[in-house]
Amino acid sequence: MNRWVIYIDESPIPLERWWRYLPNWLKRFLPIRGGRPEDHYGKSMFGFTVFLLSESIVFLSFIFTYLTLRLTHLQNWLPPGVSGSKLSTFVIINTVVLLSSSFVIQPAENALKHHQLNKFRWLWLMTICMGTYFLIGQGIEWSKLDFRLSTGLLGSTFYVLTGFHGLHVITGVVLQIIMLFRSLIPGNYNKGHFGASATTLFWHFVDVVWVVLFSLLYLWQA
Amino acid sequence: MVRLLDYLLIAGCIAVLLLVSHWIGQLAYSWMPLEATAEAQKVDSLFSFLVSIGTFIILGLVGMMVYSVLFFHAPKNDYSEGHSSRGDIRLEILWTATPTLLVLWIAFQGFNIYQQLNILGLGQIVHLHTPLKSEPAYAVASNDKPKPTSETIEVFVKQWDWSFRYPNNVTSNELHLPVNLRTRLNMHAKDVLHSFYVPVFRLQQYIVPGRNINLVVRPTRTGKYTLKDALFSGTYFALMDANVQVESLEEYNQWLTKTEKEPKTRKNQVLAEYSQSPKTWFKSGWYTVVPDQRAITQSALE
Amino acid sequence: MENIIGDRESSTSQNEPENNWRPYFSFSTDHKVIGVQYMVMSFIFFLVGGLLAMLIRAELITPQSNVVDRPLYNGLFTLHGTIMIFLWIIPFNAGISNYLVPLMIGARDIAFPLLNAISFWMIPPGGILLLSSFLLPNGTAQSGWWSYPPISLQIPPGQPINGELIWIVSLVIIGISSIMGAVNFITTIFWMRAPGMTFFRMPVFVWSVLSAQLLQLVNLPSLTGALILLLFDLNFGTQFFKPLENGDPIIYQHLFWFYSHPAVYIMALPAFGIFAEVLPAFSRNPLFGYRSLAVASLGIAVVSIFVWVHHMFTSATPSWMRILFMVTSMLVAVPTGVKAFGWTATIWKSKLHLETPMLFAMGGAAMFLLGGVTGVMLAAVPFDIHVHNTYFIVGHFHYIVFNTITMAIFAAIYFWFPKITGRMYAEGWGKLHFWLTFISANLTFFPMLPLGLQGMVRRISSYDPRYQGWNVIASLGSFLLGVSILPFIANMLGSWLYGTRAVNNPWHATGLEWTTTSPPPQDNFDEIPVVKRPPYDYGDPKYSVIESPDYHQPEH
Repeated sequence: MNRWVIYIDESPIPLERWWRYLPNWLKRFLPIRGGRPEDHYGKSMFGFTVFLLSESIVFLSFIFTYLTLRLTHLQNWLPPGVSGSKLSTFVIINTVVLLSSSFVIQPAENALKHHQLNKFRWLWLMTICMGTYFLIGQGIEWSKLDFRLSTGLLGSTFYVLTGFHGLHVITGVVLQIIMLFRSLIPGNYNKGHFGASATTLFWHFVDVVWVVLFSLLYLWQA
Repeated sequence: MVRLLDYLLIAGCIAVLLLVSHWIGQLAYSWMPLEATAEAQKVDSLFSFLVSIGTFIILGLVGMMVYSVLFFHAPKNDYSEGHSSRGDIRLEILWTATPTLLVLWIAFQGFNIYQQLNILGLGQIVHLHTPLKSEPAYAVASNDKPKPTSETIEVFVKQWDWSFRYPNNVTSNELHLPVNLRTRLNMHAKDVLHSFYVPVFRLQQYIVPGRNINLVVRPTRTGKYTLKDALFSGTYFALMDANVQVESLEEYNQWLTKTEKEPKTRKNQVLAEYSQSPKTWFKSGWYTVVPDQRAITQSALE
Repeated sequence: MENIIGDRESSTSQNEPENNWRPYFSFSTDHKVIGVQYMVMSFIFFLVGGLLAMLIRAELITPQSNVVDRPLYNGLFTLHGTIMIFLWIIPFNAGISNYLVPLMIGARDIAFPLLNAISFWMIPPGGILLLSSFLLPNGTAQSGWWSYPPISLQIPPGQPINGELIWIVSLVIIGISSIMGAVNFITTIFWMRAPGMTFFRMPVFVWSVLSAQLLQLVNLPSLTGALILLLFDLNFGTQFFKPLENGDPIIYQHLFWFYSHPAVYIMALPAFGIFAEVLPAFSRNPLFGYRSLAVASLGIAVVSIFVWVHHMFTSATPSWMRILFMVTSMLVAVPTGVKAFGWTATIWKSKLHLETPMLFAMGGAAMFLLGGVTGVMLAAVPFDIHVHNTYFIVGHFHYIVFNTITMAIFAAIYFWFPKITGRMYAEGWGKLHFWLTFISANLTFFPMLPLGLQGMVRRISSYDPRYQGWNVIASLGSFLLGVSILPFIANMLGSWLYGTRAVNNPWHATGLEWTTTSPPPQDNFDEIPVVKRPPYDYGDPKYSVIESPDYHQPEH
């Protein structure tokens, strides 16, 4: 008797048997028994999530560079006479505004799911304002700092990290503005609301990255 | 009866393959340059071992392919199936487990030799004296007691030459080493990454500017060898060969005293080519970093 | 696959082969058109890269520097490497994957067709931008395809637009295109499979593409990060990699090789997948150990993420790191070996047909053994310390990228040519191409192995005269290699325009792509198939035929 049963589809694990134990969100991303190409929303969200995974690796490479440089230069991280990126109230408020905007955009997307268009638009607009506030605040903070891009390792790492993050915030705000205008077009959501969902996920991603950067650049004082 | 014949045949083929692989492994020693340090002998025996295993695998598999081409060729229009076997679990497990054990064994051999190189002075030699607070990590990882060396030679490399400063402040662009004695080489790069490579020592190490990289060599064979820069370092990178002279201690001291009295500067090929570029079919005239115009040995004094 | 019409009924394809070239120059979102666009464009870059190689070998046939001046030589090998990796193999793989994956899994198109078209159209500008750096007053990037700082940061003073900047920008453009492609392929393979096409009914080629694209997704952003930081160091005064200003060039090496090692598997995995498709078809055996080979594709991808430091064994890496990565680099040989054994077992006790695709596949698989074995040797740290940056490495990786991967690419082109174009290529010319390529590839790259052992360093334009013997053989071999491409080009052009019409399944192969017409219609299948049988089903009578002598002749 052959102990090694070969299933007719040659899978070493009988996936069908375990299918019902998987959580819903995982099932959404891992269709088996053949895909569901007609599920445009699910397919696009999968693709976008996979893309964000890739994007996070770019940030990881910058963070790796920052950590390696900082950990091997703990003594002389701040050039003489430079006070670095101080953790001021201004910065804290900026951070709070950005992070709480995640808690505004999520209800906005939920409202859209329940077809409450007006509630969606107002919450969405508020997110845009909070994002723009963060950007302006970041710009002001940059102008008040006592070091430039070329000021040693401090300048190199700080400006590249926050600048790259800022680019993503700008992208997020632009996407939100586009989605806001598209919400004014009648019949826009007949085929699902992938655009709004993707923008929401992107915004959460931007916020998570900021939590990491904030800790590494502001909370970790030299 | 037929099964027994099959197994005998397979065993016979494997035996022949083992013999041939061993023979080619022995030949492999002649493919390497001559051995001028004890470490070189170890590396060559590792190489021979690797060649034997590689030959066994290549000849075995290519032999099977050639056999297939010769004996399993189908008639032109016959597209019927060969056999229906889709696999054999036991065989697949065998050829997953065996290579795993084999490569782990090879890694172990490699590690052994690397450790032996350590004992003989190669492994622990790479102290990277970076301005680190965590520097002890490197010292702890390797053999803690630095081996006593007869002396230290400062090695300076830049675009595009090597210069050496000996203990009595003699400078030269030739590396002289006393045979059978340990010498520490303290290496400094001035501008870009370079690599200290002496094929007959089987020794190579990148030199990072701003870091103090040193290693210990103990050559065992006198002769004239070549030091090359193995890491691409710019326009005249190909001209960065320097002479390495391994000689007895008396000859080495004689050379030191002679060079102190009459410092010798050889013709700087790089400068010659820079001022008068050789005739080539295609000339681009693209930018190059200007080579150091001073005499080769002077820069070693910095 | 009961509801697919067998092709024994018709002796020619249902579809008219199109010689209409217009779609291939347009912005099409059809994955078949995009696939062909990728393949033809990358082939043109292959010829350009090959020309640069001829110049390099012409220089190296004599010990002195007498063909090109030194900065130009440095630019030649830099661009040769960059073009061959980023503009030949990786885009070609994207092209063949584009063409085949939807057909093999029974989909009508790829997951995001518009994104697919945008991904393609980013590459020609990126490539032309890279080549245009030859026209700059101080030429191209000249620091090797690695572009290690600080040497790559030595630019002509006062010239912000220089070869290095253009190199970085074009690579970033191509990288973005690749990441978008990776998102596309992974989504396609997860979401667009036909009913019944479970993961373990997919052909190994699709598994290989999935593994390679997962690697692209996870590792390519590291290169993007490295290039962005390099760009900032180059043009904006930052100090990430400047050792004389507190920076650390070794960080660049880590970020660079974290991508570039998996890059070689991104190039090699589709080639292995091609072997796994061609070998069973021409040996009339199922692929031996299908499940092992499928899982081995993922295994290679996963292990290869953890081996990158083996490119830095002589760099400023501590001993513990060298030993750790020696072990992981050795382990990656295990799934690779499983694949090689599976291929050999497939052709054992078979009914071999030695048409051109099979010749290329077997030649490639055989030469892969030498490339792979030299690779395992290089994983041993003491040996690598001796041969690092010598011609041994150059010989090893050319045995992989040319003698394995490019041979697999030729096998794929010949194998799927009838499907893509609807015409048969000329078999005699194909065999001529194979023999010329096989002989000259070995002549060119084998001598590099002893040269490296003897200590000849790479990236030099002049060398010690005692190395000349092997160099002459390698150079003559490379000229023959250049000549060998001519019958291929003639065959492709001639057959595409005037070849005999091909049937749906000229090789009596399994696989969903062979169930549709040659070439396939716009939406691939008349009806999406329902899959009920495993792949490589050579036991099924439908595939096990004795064909009549005039099978390949058109009816009228």
